[in-house]
Amino acid sequence: MRTFSVRRARFIALCLLPGVVFVALFTYYPVIRGAVMAFQRYNLFDLTSTPFVGLENFRAVLGEDRFWTALRNTGTWVAVSLFFQFFLGFGLALLLRRHFRGRGLYQAWVFFPWAMSGFLIGLLWRWMFNGQFGVINDLLLKTGIIDQRIGFLATPGWAMTSVIVANVWYGVTFFAIMIMAALQSVPKELYEAASVDGASRLRQFWHVTLPHIRPTLALIVLLRIIWILNFPDLIYSMTGGGPAGSTDIITTFLIQQVIGGDYGRAGAVGLLILGLLLSFSVFYLNATRFEKAR
Amino acid sequence: MKKPLLAAAVATTLVLAGCGSGSSSSGEVRLRMIESLTSPERTKLIKTLIAGFEKANPGVTVELVSPPLDSADQKITQILQTKKDLDVLEVRDHTAKSFSNNGWLAELPTTEWPGWSDLTELAQKKAVEVGGKAYLIPYGFYQRTLFYRTDFGMAQPPTTWEELYEAGKKMTSGDRYGYSFRGGKGGADYAVMMISAYNGEALNPEKSFYLKDKRTIFSTPEAAQAMELYVKIFKEASPPDSVSWGYPEMVQGFTSGVTGMLIQDPEVIKTVEDSGVTAWSTTPIPKGPTGYAFQPVGYAGWGATSFTKHPKEAVKLVQFLSEAKQSIAFAKGNSLIPISKQAQNDPQFSQGAWKAYLQAQQDPKQVTTIRPVDYPGWSQFGVDSDRDVQALLTGKKTVAEVLKSWDAFWIDQAKKVS
Repeated sequence: MRTFSVRRARFIALCLLPGVVFVALFTYYPVIRGAVMAFQRYNLFDLTSTPFVGLENFRAVLGEDRFWTALRNTGTWVAVSLFFQFFLGFGLALLLRRHFRGRGLYQAWVFFPWAMSGFLIGLLWRWMFNGQFGVINDLLLKTGIIDQRIGFLATPGWAMTSVIVANVWYGVTFFAIMIMAALQSVPKELYEAASVDGASRLRQFWHVTLPHIRPTLALIVLLRIIWILNFPDLIYSMTGGGPAGSTDIITTFLIQQVIGGDYGRAGAVGLLILGLLLSFSVFYLNATRFEKAR
Repeated sequence: MKKPLLAAAVATTLVLAGCGSGSSSSGEVRLRMIESLTSPERTKLIKTLIAGFEKANPGVTVELVSPPLDSADQKITQILQTKKDLDVLEVRDHTAKSFSNNGWLAELPTTEWPGWSDLTELAQKKAVEVGGKAYLIPYGFYQRTLFYRTDFGMAQPPTTWEELYEAGKKMTSGDRYGYSFRGGKGGADYAVMMISAYNGEALNPEKSFYLKDKRTIFSTPEAAQAMELYVKIFKEASPPDSVSWGYPEMVQGFTSGVTGMLIQDPEVIKTVEDSGVTAWSTTPIPKGPTGYAFQPVGYAGWGATSFTKHPKEAVKLVQFLSEAKQSIAFAKGNSLIPISKQAQNDPQFSQGAWKAYLQAQQDPKQVTTIRPVDYPGWSQFGVDSDRDVQALLTGKKTVAEVLKSWDAFWIDQAKKVS
């Protein structure tokens, strides 16, 4: 054990200062400012008077049907997206673990979408799903699967399906990257030992691979839930939450508050999202820890 | 042993200073300018205009910031809130009120500037529309006009909404439709346009969501009549997919031959010309049963910030951009109705597709209006009403329900303003 002199400690603190200042300035300050706004009447229309109004913004938000619709949609959006992203991503990771010619190049191609802006991807899908000149309708018509064009983004049920399809396409890659990294951390000797013992591929997967990567999986899933919920880009550029709010999720609802100019209400929605995610994370981490202990 | 302390302190100061002011310390003046309606071609054009300004004013350099269109006004608002590092900016008709309310815009001089008298009457009027002072100089106007295909079996372009419906219905068969309907973002604007036309003479053009007798335009039986027809145009003469159509889809629908009619701003003239469609023409927007059509004249312009460190140069740049040569070049490049009187002699603005605008300007029953953009609920209404229109088209709400809520909204707004 080395002991630090006071001077040394002070020097270290000083070196850390820029980092701390930076994070405080660009992360904590905006968060706190937004939280304070939630309790103010803060409408862009007139910023010369921004009095504190207590819980008025929260009451207004919670009293809107749209908020509850958005909340319900958020559940569907997160659960269905996550389900398909996870299983398709897992499958892709297992396939990409095998060695084949050109694997590096193929991997790069697969991971490419992840590097693109969600907004841009939304615009691409918006045109592909277009009911009149979209390529998806065209393909379905030519292959004879449908005999009439479908207004994917114009029909409430289809609109939700469409944005989720786009989101699954986008997010599969993330799971593939993360799960592949986790798979590479499983020691080879374990597989060798298992095959000496005569375990089949399936059993190896079940008894060696899965237990080894489970903690990582639990964390990836949590991260992903938070990200999907905080990912309005796709929906915003594809449907803007429409038709008539049927694809609104809680974060696109927030954007609409901002566009409406009411930063106070937007702040309130932001705080509600924060609360929701925090309580969910605590619940989730406890649940997964319990499983591990067993 | 104070040195590390000092070094760290200096480093921190430098970092913080780096975040601060961008103006240089030498004799050079650096102006920062931000645009809102960003597009690659437009940015290029602005840069050539700026280059001309820099050439005419040695020692002044202009840095142009071009945020992406969709979030530009939010970004500009954020910068303005910091009251730093911005000298010249693009102000749009719907941001003018909040920008000036919050004291972010400088009043521009109109008397000691020869360019002022060269502005059209409309340009001078719109420059001082908000707050009674020239907080911006418009750079051009946009108004809607009806684009129609001449090869889709229509002998005469429609002059009323009823005629548009009939003509559209005739065109609709198979994969072809009569009208490029807008059900997505901005769709409610078109419903309001029809409702206004149906209210006719009773409407107050200075506050176009209200009638001359102070009721809202949404409260009348004529409004219900207009909305019934609006829904019929969607159901019988427009692509079913157009519930979700915004600007790009409507235009694409017209240029790709899916739809035969489109109501849009003049910048679409260029798009249609470039698309290869040849059999098309334009005509003023349809009227209501009483023979009136109303529409706002949209505009945006250049303004200077109230907190600029170089007010003289900033104002100079705004004036430079608003002078005949530059403003006509800008209007041409962006298909805008120009602000300079000299443009009337320009063949581009008196021929072909542009003729419909002249026609509309000369028709006393094609009335330009001022929308209640200076009411606190204006932005909120934009979000809410688009959603209501989609609910109406998908059968989740009735005409009566929608009109009732819009009526209630604007009655409430009137109370907030007075």
